[in-house]
Amino acid sequence: MSFDLQKIIESKRALRRKLASKPLAEKMRLLEQLSERAASIKRARSASKSDSK
Amino acid sequence: VNIQQVLQVINQMQSDAIIERYAVGGAVGATFYLEPVATLDVDIFVAFQPEPGHLIVSPKAIFDYLARRGYAMEGEYVVITGTPVQFLPTNGPLVEEGLEEAVTHHLDGIPARVFTAEHLAAIALQTGRAKDKARLLQFVEEGALDSARFKDIVTRHGLETQWQRFERQFLDDIP
Repeated sequence: MSFDLQKIIESKRALRRKLASKPLAEKMRLLEQLSERAASIKRARSASKSDSK
Repeated sequence: VNIQQVLQVINQMQSDAIIERYAVGGAVGATFYLEPVATLDVDIFVAFQPEPGHLIVSPKAIFDYLARRGYAMEGEYVVITGTPVQFLPTNGPLVEEGLEEAVTHHLDGIPARVFTAEHLAAIALQTGRAKDKARLLQFVEEGALDSARFKDIVTRHGLETQWQRFERQFLDDIP
């Protein structure tokens, strides 16, 4: 591990390529998990907004 | 989001002649070629059947069909097994061509008509919002495009200026 920004960017790019090359069904399962996480964050954000009113 | 169940419903709509053709677009469409990204909805581009006696195409037949099967409407969305699905009409020659040339992928054995990577990228270029540009950049960086085919689409649909601007803004610095 390093704090070399160029290496960090390159490793992120490599991870994205690795994810992109996964089988379609696995990618869709990941998409569903990510979407559920995004929805949870959205719900939490809405709840904290209404609490602060 | 449950893509397989949504696809089964859309395929059935096609079998029942409610829609002529469809193609999955947006983040879900892009995931067929790129890494998965979070999305809260599924974009389905469709060629609408004009209603008898009407010149203007309407999504009413789609909504009626789905409502009869118990699916709820939420604003512009139809919620299919918990997933908000947005039906989008073809809004010009680029999307029409994309629908014509969409390819069939299979997801757990379920056929899915999806825009080609090059059409998804060109539609993103044409739409031009920040998130579309980010997606286009992913297509380019991940080498997911057939460059000649993409540039042909860009040229034929008059998107050269947007592409040159995009190249200057995002690609000139890529080593």
